[in-house]
Amino acid sequence: MARKFRSFLRSCGAAELVSIGILVLAFGIPFLSSSPFIGSLVTQILIAIPAAFSVYVMLRMDLMTFAVPAFMAMGAYSAAIAGLRCGITDTILLAALSFAVPALVALPLGAMVLRLRGVYFVLVTFLLAQITQLVLFETPQFTGGSNGLAGMPATTLFGLALEDNRSVLLLAVGLALVAAIITTALTRHYRQHFAAIKENQVLAESLGLVVWHYKMLGFTIAAGLAGIAGFSLLNMLLTAHPSSFDAMSSVNYIAYAIVGGAGSMLGPVVGSVVLVTATNLFSTRGEYSPGFLGVLILIVVLAMKEGIVGTALRLIRNRARRREFPLAPADMPYLPVAKSTAAAERKAEN
Amino acid sequence: MATGMTTVTAAKALQGAELHVEGVAKQFGGLKVFEQISFRLQPGDILGVVGPNGAGKTTLINVISGLLLPTHGRVTLGGHDITRAPFHGRSRLGVIRSFQQTSTFRPATVRENIARAMRFSHGSDAPPLGTDALMMRFDLAGRLDEQSDKLPYGLQKMLGLVLAYVTKPKVLLLDEPAAGLEVRERVQVDDFVHHVREELGCSILIVEHDMDLIRRICPQIMVLDSGRVIAEGPPAEVLSRPEVITAYMGAADEEEAKLC
Repeated sequence: MARKFRSFLRSCGAAELVSIGILVLAFGIPFLSSSPFIGSLVTQILIAIPAAFSVYVMLRMDLMTFAVPAFMAMGAYSAAIAGLRCGITDTILLAALSFAVPALVALPLGAMVLRLRGVYFVLVTFLLAQITQLVLFETPQFTGGSNGLAGMPATTLFGLALEDNRSVLLLAVGLALVAAIITTALTRHYRQHFAAIKENQVLAESLGLVVWHYKMLGFTIAAGLAGIAGFSLLNMLLTAHPSSFDAMSSVNYIAYAIVGGAGSMLGPVVGSVVLVTATNLFSTRGEYSPGFLGVLILIVVLAMKEGIVGTALRLIRNRARRREFPLAPADMPYLPVAKSTAAAERKAEN
Repeated sequence: MATGMTTVTAAKALQGAELHVEGVAKQFGGLKVFEQISFRLQPGDILGVVGPNGAGKTTLINVISGLLLPTHGRVTLGGHDITRAPFHGRSRLGVIRSFQQTSTFRPATVRENIARAMRFSHGSDAPPLGTDALMMRFDLAGRLDEQSDKLPYGLQKMLGLVLAYVTKPKVLLLDEPAAGLEVRERVQVDDFVHHVREELGCSILIVEHDMDLIRRICPQIMVLDSGRVIAEGPPAEVLSRPEVITAYMGAADEEEAKLC
């Protein structure tokens, strides 16, 4: 039993377990601090995390997506319409809906666009985000047009109304945790398949891998994850408005994943924490805020190509290796020789 | 008596299937890459395809393996029409190709590469018989945990061949397996072809520029020039025909242009 559990943990992966652990600990935040600034910051981070996971899942297949705001809008609006028009307030039901609707929309879309690669896929997903904006504005009978959908009733969990800030925050933690578990299950179970697609798609196909199955699966789940982020955002604002899902905001979610490090699932988590916090801190400086953020992103991209998590892991690994080989081995004379050894040799010559 | 004969010459387990290419043509817009190519490959057959650069050899492999669809013609495997079957689908039916350049999952280890090849093709973790022998011969057995793109060029190409081997192919399409290898490494391609034929009994189509290699391993060859088959037959005879020599060497002096 214990061995089974241990092998299950190993199959989950370290970065994945740490990410899930961080999110579990986040349940404690509303009980530790009652500051509205912290509450709002943490909620924003927790909304960013599932959206960054969506980008991360696509990057695992070497696909860069700008469609995250589009799927977020689909998730948020379907939950808002279900709440306002059908009176559904059950959180679990709404969350499932906000996952399922974008995922279902992604199925036919994926069949059309997943054959595209590289910059063409990027363009098409950006277009999708733009079209979604247009649809939101031009169908006021469903989406409220430029007014959005306001007056969303408070959601309920097992009959309890989630009204105050603390429960909004707890709900955001719960949704991010669900998104983390889904991401872990997907990317760990199919890690060899996704890695093969990323590293050499033609070879994978030539060996018999049905590449489009896995791309469809990844795209669908990524859409669902973005939908969860949209629902989380709806919970915070209690309003679904087109401006929350601006096509340009897709750049933020991509930045969270890449600055954090797209090589590990911890990357999107760390990236969301760092960049959302930075945005909030800089926003007190008014007009300088985009500049500060730009410089921060520049530093990370120039100095740490593998993102924050990737670079940290590399440094730790190098350190461990240096401890194993403290002196330069004899067959590597170009490495600096330790001072004491050089002095001893000189003495011996004399 | 007759059965005794076959056991000596035939492969251990004839799991191959007949590949029949009928009147296949491929054109990109107005550019005709090749037209009217037909041949049959029985299990255990080895067919060499030679011709100058741009003759359409690699495109032929692309069409048979399903990376490209033919403009005309049919490809059947064991009597089933696979002309329209997708790339991965054909691979699962046993039509496996190798690539001209090194083609591995670069950051993955040798072990992971092989595990993926088996998993994607037949979903099992058990390599086919003879894999160990092949790994030993290629000097890959001791390097299972090395990253595949850190291996020397020759070993990367050999790993590409091993990946094709562990999928248990019925028909193997080799696209210039010896390109870029040193002369002493090229013998390993001979070893590989014989090994595959003996262990898996599959048929092999080999596109290659190394004429010595072709002479050594192919009982039959086909010469392509500008998309047409200009000669077919045993290599010793075909490669001495004047039209083949002209195709290879242009209009150069034929005395000088003895293909060797």
